[in-house]
Amino acid sequence: MEILAQLIVSGIALGMIYAVIAFGYQLTFATSSTLNFGQGEALMLGALVGLSLVGYMNYWLMIPLVLIFGAMQGVFVERVAVLPALKTKSEFGWIMTTISLAIIFKNVAENIWGRDDLTFPSPLPTSPLQFFGIRVLPMEILVVFGALAIMLAVEIFNRKSIYGKAVVATSNDRDAAGLMGINTGMVITFSYALSSMTAAFAGVLVAPLTLTGATMGVVLGLKAFAVAIIGGLNSGMGVIVGGLLLGIAETTTGYYISTGYKDVPGLFLLLLVLAIKPAGMFGKSVIKKV
Amino acid sequence: MSWINKISIVLAIIVAAVLPTIWPNPYYVHLMVIIGIYAILLLGLDIVVGYVGEVSLGHAALFGIGSYTAGVLHFQLAVPFLLAVPASIVVTAFFGALLALPALRVNGPYLAMVTLAFGTIIQILINEMTFLTNGPLGLSIRKPIWFGHQITGADYYYIVLAALVLTLFVVQRILKSHIGRAFEALHDSPIATDCMGVSVYGYKVYAFVLSAGIAGLAGSLFTYSEEYISPNTYNFELTILFLLAVIMGGRKTRIGPMLGAIIIVMLPNVLSDIELFRTISTGIAVFTVAYAVYAVTTRQGTVRQMLLPLLVTLVLAASGYFMENITEHRLTIFGVMILFVVYYLPNGIMGFLRRIVLKYRPQWIHRHEIVAELGDDAHVWSVPDHPVNASGYLLEAKNILMQFGGLKALNEVNLQITKGTVHGLIGPNGSGKSTMMNVLTGIYKPTAGKIEFNRKNITGASPSSIAAAGIARTFQNVQLFGEMTAIENVLVGLHHTYRHSLLDAVFHTPRCRKEKNAARLRAASLLHFVGLSDLANEEARNLPYGKQRLLEIARALALNPSLLLLDEPAAGLTAPDIKELIAMINKIREHGLTVILIEHHMDVVMSICDTVTVLDFGQKIAEGTAAEVQSDEKVIEAYLGGSVEAA
Repeated sequence: MEILAQLIVSGIALGMIYAVIAFGYQLTFATSSTLNFGQGEALMLGALVGLSLVGYMNYWLMIPLVLIFGAMQGVFVERVAVLPALKTKSEFGWIMTTISLAIIFKNVAENIWGRDDLTFPSPLPTSPLQFFGIRVLPMEILVVFGALAIMLAVEIFNRKSIYGKAVVATSNDRDAAGLMGINTGMVITFSYALSSMTAAFAGVLVAPLTLTGATMGVVLGLKAFAVAIIGGLNSGMGVIVGGLLLGIAETTTGYYISTGYKDVPGLFLLLLVLAIKPAGMFGKSVIKKV
Repeated sequence: MSWINKISIVLAIIVAAVLPTIWPNPYYVHLMVIIGIYAILLLGLDIVVGYVGEVSLGHAALFGIGSYTAGVLHFQLAVPFLLAVPASIVVTAFFGALLALPALRVNGPYLAMVTLAFGTIIQILINEMTFLTNGPLGLSIRKPIWFGHQITGADYYYIVLAALVLTLFVVQRILKSHIGRAFEALHDSPIATDCMGVSVYGYKVYAFVLSAGIAGLAGSLFTYSEEYISPNTYNFELTILFLLAVIMGGRKTRIGPMLGAIIIVMLPNVLSDIELFRTISTGIAVFTVAYAVYAVTTRQGTVRQMLLPLLVTLVLAASGYFMENITEHRLTIFGVMILFVVYYLPNGIMGFLRRIVLKYRPQWIHRHEIVAELGDDAHVWSVPDHPVNASGYLLEAKNILMQFGGLKALNEVNLQITKGTVHGLIGPNGSGKSTMMNVLTGIYKPTAGKIEFNRKNITGASPSSIAAAGIARTFQNVQLFGEMTAIENVLVGLHHTYRHSLLDAVFHTPRCRKEKNAARLRAASLLHFVGLSDLANEEARNLPYGKQRLLEIARALALNPSLLLLDEPAAGLTAPDIKELIAMINKIREHGLTVILIEHHMDVVMSICDTVTVLDFGQKIAEGTAAEVQSDEKVIEAYLGGSVEAA
């Protein structure tokens, strides 16, 4: 029983990271019906840039810089890969272009930081805390709260500020928002900036717990796809539940069956959710008007 | 197919057959084998990417499943080659169905996301299931021995060539059949396709499963060609390579995938040899400069448009001379290439060439099969597929409630349509007429209420099954298959008359030919009925608006419906055209069809409708004969506004 509780606790930390990345998918999907297939690479770049900065400053000071870097990276992705593809109205142009940027980012990172995994110095003590016999790393607690904080911050921004209202309006109806004088192009760019910013933040959160390297983003980005679909591409609540579900499914499968199989239940869950409720567990199905 | 095409195909096969004698070097022969295998897979991938318009990021994994099925069968059970290959096709097609059935239920990038995840999982599974696949160590297999002769690499080339020719033949036949037409239709207008009784979901899955089966064939051939397989071959990079090949070669062509295969097989060689890379990138840069100059001088493009591609190719060429080692930057170059192809070569090399030919020799390009049949009056009508059992009311909608959020677009509306009548549905804008149409045809699922058609409950059924049951419709905002000719549009409506199977289509059996000819004659007759005979081979998007509406009627009649829903058919028609439309609707009624007519032209409504129902704000406010409704006070109020005195 204790082992199970321990696995669940580790699963929660992992799941929150997935949730943050999936949240990033939702942000851009809402405004432009596109998502960044290189979201994992945005996370990886955030972590590696953070690692380079940590050599010169303290972890907490580095975070705002990484956030700025992440936002700029998001703008770059949107300008190079998404905007032209949306203009040409090709259905899957953006999938190919965001993937190709992801490949380029990974390759560039390999050439700058090398192919080996690096260790990220932990800002918090690395000795685990004991709660009722369950060991929890302080960093894991930070991950959970950090992830919740950034999602909450973006949500509050979207709901309360006038800029956020423009984002929500564009999500609801891009054409109508455009007619009301909202620069929807700007809003889409902005959503990409936000999306990559949250991913970069997730990168520096998760880096001290795992190894940091050019390939770290691929699997994380992929898992977050599963989370976004399981939870629903338009449900904020969904990504958290989906993330936790997937995180826990993984740590338990890894322990009880084999670490090799730990990625398998995610896909089955994904196919199952699509088969039963295609819009996701918490997603609303959209009625397409004719 | 013209004799020029036939001769050039035979010539191409002969050239391919003598290639190994020109380049007997085993390395080259092996490269050609791989090109052949990839071309097979790409022909299949093009069905999904080009025809159906979905992105699959799982074709490397499907390729791997095909490979490993053949490998495992051979390694563990010593199954012979001729049995292992079909087994691979079946197993891979099964996995394709497993993916496509859930992933294609929703529109959007779901298939891409699910297949991407699938690709990773398959690689993990192949690595982990050591008892079956021998894990990371891989499997060793020998080429088959036939009649005591060990098949060599050169022999194997001919096996792959035969498989490629066979795949080409099969894919071509399928895509030119009614199945291929369904693929193109659903890409063009999914809603109209569903309303023609052709299930979009079903045919998307069909396409993906076909494509997966072909990937399985390619995979199994790959196993015997390499004689050694290991999990790492089937990675994400290979998937992207396949997609790049399909787009770069040219979608919706047969030659494109082969060009693409040649490019992606040669690409790793180019990207490992810096000298070769320099030569080729310089070549591309020179070509781009020349093309840009040509485009700007002939005013086909502006300097601004040409600037970016010029810059990219020049930087690419220059970078070749700065880099000492190219393998480190291989993926970056690869990524830049994808960006370049997506933005500047979206229709691929074949599309680019076609555009040039179209400019100078337009008569060489036949985008559509010309249908020469002339219709006649005798073949316009046919009995409905499902005989009408109902007596009295053909359709009965009870207490229909359709809610969008808080808005009740239809509020407890009852509608009874008497068999053999023309039933008018009128009301001011936003009164719920079109919503009713969409509820009846299954596009919207009503929040509450029940619809009975021909004594069958059709509430909540899918649009395609409702259409197949005998309800055909036209659309308020025209939903034609724009890139198809007028007659092809009608042929999509006649999809239900094609009862022959995939195999019949591949072998052109007498049954297939008979159905095809009958459908063409019928389609031509329907066009004759709506007066579009002379425009039969014109692309639908080029027709004037009024004619497009008439074409929609012909297409809807092709379904052999017992109930026809016309959504504002007179909109955009001139006065003489409207007269003809009225005559047409009367004729439709004479042939036993029941019609629901939404129309704003009151003269049309009043002259042909037996009963008229008036909707306002989602509620039925009046019903009766045209004259009764016309004098109803509520109706007058709804149309002209309430009187001041009453307030």
